[in-house]
Amino acid sequence: MTTESSPYSGADRSPGLPAGGPNPPTQPDPAAGQSLGREAWRRLKQNKAAMVSLWLLGAITLACLFGPYLLPWGLAEVDWNAFNSPPSLTDGHYLGTDANGRDLLVRTLYGGRISLSVALIATLVSLVIGVLYGAISGYMGGRTDNLMMRFVDIMYSLPFMFLVILMMVVFGRSILLIYAAIGAVEWLDMARIVRGQTLALKRREFVEAAHALGVSDRKIITRHMIPNAIGPVIVYVTLTVPKVILLESFLSFLGLGVQEPLTSWGVLINAGTNMMQTAPWMLLVPSVFLALTLFCLNFLGDGLRDALDPKTR
Amino acid sequence: MLNYTLKRLAMAVPTLLVIITLSFFLMRIAPGGPFDGERALSPAIEANLRAAYHLDEPLVMQYLRYVGNLLQGDFGPSFKYKDFSVTELIAQGFPVSLELGFWAILLALLIGLPLGIIAALKRNSAIDYGVMGTALAGIAVPNFVIAPLLALTFGVLLAWLPAGGWNGGAWQNMVLPVIALSIQQIAYLARMMRASMIEVLGSHFIRTARAKGLSESKVILRHALRPALLPVVSYLGPAIAGIVTGSVVIEQIFGLPGIGRYFVQAALNRDYTLVMGTVVFYGGLIVLLNLVVDLIYSALDPQIRYDD
Amino acid sequence: MAHKLLEIDDLCVDFQLPDGDVAAVSHVSLTLAKGETLALVGESGSGKSVTSTAILRLLPELARTRGAIRFNGEDLLGVPNRRMRELRGNRIATVFQEPMTSLNPLHRVGDQIKEVLRLHRGLRGQAARTKVIDLLDQVGIPDPARRATSYPHELSGGQRQRVMIAMALACEPDLLIADEPTTALDVTVQAQILGLLRELQQRYGMAILFITHDLGIVRHFADRVCVMRRGELLEQGPTAEVFANPHHDYTRMLIDAEPSGSKAPVAESSPLLLEAHDVRVLFAIKRRWFGHSDYFEAVRGIDVQLKRGQTLGIVGESGSGKSTLGRALLRLLESRGEIRFDDTDIAHLEGSAMRPMRKRMQVVFQDPFGSLSPRLTVGEIIGEGLRVHHPELNRAARDRRVQQALSEVSLDPGMRNRYPHEFSGGQRQRIAIARALVLQPEFLLLDEPTSALDRSVQATVIELLRELQRKHDLTYLFISHDLAVVRALADSVLVMKEGQVIEHGDTQALFDNPREPYTRELMRAAFMGEAA
Repeated sequence: MTTESSPYSGADRSPGLPAGGPNPPTQPDPAAGQSLGREAWRRLKQNKAAMVSLWLLGAITLACLFGPYLLPWGLAEVDWNAFNSPPSLTDGHYLGTDANGRDLLVRTLYGGRISLSVALIATLVSLVIGVLYGAISGYMGGRTDNLMMRFVDIMYSLPFMFLVILMMVVFGRSILLIYAAIGAVEWLDMARIVRGQTLALKRREFVEAAHALGVSDRKIITRHMIPNAIGPVIVYVTLTVPKVILLESFLSFLGLGVQEPLTSWGVLINAGTNMMQTAPWMLLVPSVFLALTLFCLNFLGDGLRDALDPKTR
Repeated sequence: MLNYTLKRLAMAVPTLLVIITLSFFLMRIAPGGPFDGERALSPAIEANLRAAYHLDEPLVMQYLRYVGNLLQGDFGPSFKYKDFSVTELIAQGFPVSLELGFWAILLALLIGLPLGIIAALKRNSAIDYGVMGTALAGIAVPNFVIAPLLALTFGVLLAWLPAGGWNGGAWQNMVLPVIALSIQQIAYLARMMRASMIEVLGSHFIRTARAKGLSESKVILRHALRPALLPVVSYLGPAIAGIVTGSVVIEQIFGLPGIGRYFVQAALNRDYTLVMGTVVFYGGLIVLLNLVVDLIYSALDPQIRYDD
Repeated sequence: MAHKLLEIDDLCVDFQLPDGDVAAVSHVSLTLAKGETLALVGESGSGKSVTSTAILRLLPELARTRGAIRFNGEDLLGVPNRRMRELRGNRIATVFQEPMTSLNPLHRVGDQIKEVLRLHRGLRGQAARTKVIDLLDQVGIPDPARRATSYPHELSGGQRQRVMIAMALACEPDLLIADEPTTALDVTVQAQILGLLRELQQRYGMAILFITHDLGIVRHFADRVCVMRRGELLEQGPTAEVFANPHHDYTRMLIDAEPSGSKAPVAESSPLLLEAHDVRVLFAIKRRWFGHSDYFEAVRGIDVQLKRGQTLGIVGESGSGKSTLGRALLRLLESRGEIRFDDTDIAHLEGSAMRPMRKRMQVVFQDPFGSLSPRLTVGEIIGEGLRVHHPELNRAARDRRVQQALSEVSLDPGMRNRYPHEFSGGQRQRIAIARALVLQPEFLLLDEPTSALDRSVQATVIELLRELQRKHDLTYLFISHDLAVVRALADSVLVMKEGQVIEHGDTQALFDNPREPYTRELMRAAFMGEAA
């Protein structure tokens, strides 16, 4: 058996620069391949900013989930000894209290639950709608695709923030509506990305080769299209989450989103704005939580994009 | 070119129609009538009111009447500000919002684009990392956090500038709102400009320009800048929409008498006609500005001008 | 002192990459006299383009250059930037490989040429305009006054390359660096551009440094030749001498890698395997909301007959419809007309009825990077067809078949758990062949299977295809723009242009005595090296 063992076969092994690239046969374990996913993960791990962001996000999420149980104060519990008290280590209100004597840390963590849950659910909604819509549009092609994308174009130029507010006015400010409305707004980009991927993949030769093998349409979609489209989708999801959080807190800040007794970071920041001259911590604490979360998500999204598509760096 | 313009116009009309129709029917399916809030209305008075607002007609008639009035620039009366029509309120607020938005987008372009270009030219240098890190912060910190912080620092603590109010449009009152409104767009524009510039600088025709013997500054000014600006121009549509949306919250925080403030008040008070009027107005504005951006783009890119 | 125009002395270029330095060019020395043509030949990664880019000092910043590059006695590596810019585009001009992207899309082509005249000659206004039109005329652009106001996207690839040449000639340079100037062009256009370069060289007496991977062009075009491999200069000398008597094994291998031999004919009694009549493929180019859409007919009524064991070559330039025809025959595209495979009408088989036929007719594509699903292991890729057509096989049996297929294409079966991106272009093409072979098909569509590969690798893949055909009595439909490969592999040839068959005949007869002018032009363009 002769492998490609002419003395010159190295010439075609490394496009670009000579002597670069791994030489498969000489690697210690020829049986274990490096999948693209695992390589992306390896690259992501080398990105310090992205990894720190990942840990911080994990910490914030855990704190929001379990923090309130560990602290002695309830969401609406009033401490009659501490109104507007600044952050302090001695009285148990580590990040201070608000004008009604409620513990700010507890409220911020509860607010985080709402903000994060909106992020999660609304992103999921946008993911489902966007992926289905985009995949159908791209896969069907032709006139259907044309029509579906025209519709997206029109939706794009709608002033969405205003329509969401309109919906909040009409249907009342319920948290369920926030999930649905934001999700329904954010799916457009996802649909475009997925459609683009689907169209590009449909023309790729490995998909044609699969057709030639007689692989069924369903299998082609699940085995060849979805795994290859998933990278950009993951990146986009990471970048959608901060947008959604921002949108929710924007609405809540204006008083058009989450309502008392529930709270969210936007609501807390709004309350803090009104008190910023006398009690600046009320503005700073929720702002820092919100900004940190958004910062980490953006860093993570950038890191993921670089890891999944090293060309773009 | 004319053809292209007409095509884009033809696209804008259905968009506007969707906005109008959507907001009209959303308002009409709203649970509870617009007069629910005001207690102790006798049925007779309510019937009178309904007739006065044409709420007793069939839905289709109401819709056609609304569209017809819109075409004449009549957005109907405000439910809450009884003495004003929606058109008057918008006409009052718009100059303020326009001025704010204009300066904000100008500032965003004047700062964002050069920052992006510098970062691209000094790629992977300390300057690049600094600019991009700051830009990421600008994206991560929302304007409703930045705005109060600015007001607190420069308006209250340092007392250099007024922390709020319009004061007839004095420049001192504009500075903080404009900065707060533009920061996010500065960040987005800088990031886009950098990415686009880096891509163009790696392209073959830049190599050709260098091989011609052009100096680096001419290569950038004559050959790299315009192609690099194209994707940024196409982003201006969303950027403008972002500024318009942002103005709502900024006007609220700094207490400026623009449409954004009316809009929020109307939304909180369920002033249906005013909410609807502002949404349609904003929608029309954004569609119009998108159209302008599209035309600018097509003027910059010969490949579009001649293909369509 | 009568020095040479260009002297490269012990040139080394290192790229400082994050994983350490990589030597792209090491210790290259060569000279070029006034008016001479020197070809720099090598496969991808040989350092030939890096060398030529180093002359212009246009390498990326991470490159470190040592040695000396003397142009008219002046060491270019030592001169200040300002001086270097005076030389670029003026005394040393360049034509690049990518005509489609080498011109600025936002400027009119006339203005792009004018820019050089203004920079180096100070020409402005009417004088510059006249000169531009004169230059465009010299490079054979019809209606030059009007074309000068065109944007690049309004010109064809060949015309853009002519504009690039006009731009390079603007200041009548002493040295023209031509970096694969014809690689991206169709053969007939390629021949025209080369003819133009030669004519202009004679008129202006400039020296040309010609960078190419194509030995046919070298033989035809260059006075002297330098052969490079992995950054090193292996051998240089007068072209005829190097071709007649190569000193280095690598050079010999490159020359031998030109495909040779011919296909042994099949028995007269061999049955027809594939038969197609009046095949047509339509593409909708503009869809309308109402009424009829506009269509483009990519394949316009073609007949194909192929006996078992035969190879039919389909040649033609880009856009001739050859790949479309191939895909239509395999029912990968909607088409009209009759297609019979082994006496079964497959043109009208739907979905699951077509599936059993698919096993018998397989395909290998051109792009070794695009034709393998990047997220599946090589084993999964090859095994996929078995899952579809042999669901009765268990995992172990399937794995055995995969291993067999891999060894059949001379790859180590132990590598079946690796992913495609870990393989070279040639290896991937072998994987694609294995994917087809594992189903034991009777018919293979080979769509430019070697076009993306370096010559030396190409030769080994062609040898493999020949061997497999003999062993399994395979029938090939071989699509290629490379006439040399087709001549070596095919029993008969079909020449296509604009969706139609121009000429059809036995390989030998057709190559010896082409009837149609278009076929003759194709051949002249493809084999000019041998004719010279």
